[in-house]
Amino acid sequence: MIWHGVTIAGYLLVVAGIVVLQLLATRTEVPVPSFGELLTRAMRSRTGRVGVLVAWAWIGLHFFAK
Amino acid sequence: MVWILLAIAFFTSISGKPVDGVLMLIVAVGLAWDVGRRALRHPGPDGAPARTGQPPARRRRFVVITLGAAAVVYAGVVGSFSRYSWPATAIIIGLSTVVVLIGWHRPAQDRPDGRRLPVAGTLAWLVVLVAGCLWELSSLLQQPSLTTDSYAHPTISTLTDPLLASSPGRSVVLLAWVAFGWYLVER
Repeated sequence: MIWHGVTIAGYLLVVAGIVVLQLLATRTEVPVPSFGELLTRAMRSRTGRVGVLVAWAWIGLHFFAK
Repeated sequence: MVWILLAIAFFTSISGKPVDGVLMLIVAVGLAWDVGRRALRHPGPDGAPARTGQPPARRRRFVVITLGAAAVVYAGVVGSFSRYSWPATAIIIGLSTVVVLIGWHRPAQDRPDGRRLPVAGTLAWLVVLVAGCLWELSSLLQQPSLTTDSYAHPTISTLTDPLLASSPGRSVVLLAWVAFGWYLVER
């Protein structure tokens, strides 16, 4: 039972980290890129663009497809 | 990137999702072939010519409304099918293929070379995202088997099962997935 809570707390911590970094990027002058800027940078090359889109496709396949 | 895709193909296949694995393998091989072909023709970065110019605002508004309506219909229809059914699988594969092919052939975003991302901030993002991936992997490996859920160590898939059990839940998640794909194509 305790490990169930610990596991979920870990996921919440990661989500909190993402939210904090996005707020730092968009609401403050702290030199942190936003998530969108990271994606844009990653998708500058064809390989990066295809890689990110395949990751997106994989999410759909994983949750809904056989 | 190709090695990452090959790793995903392998682990997805042994996790009981052979269709995902085969599709990842196809993309990995295609990407390797494409990069090799371009390197032989034009040695240098694999980036395509920069995209310049935007469509007129009126036309763009029409496209946005049309695609938005199509996305809502898509999410409603696919969400009405049960998870892991063949109709849902075929329609998800269809949209995924179209989006990946659009990204494959679309020129790169026009972005000034001098605008580099701050190193420390980028590293902070990498730490958080990699930590999330490792936490999920840790939960997956602590399951009784790769295909058996664990209450003590739930993966994200296990945690989202209650939401995806109902048709409206599936439709909402599918709409978010389609919207995110659209956002990525626009990058």
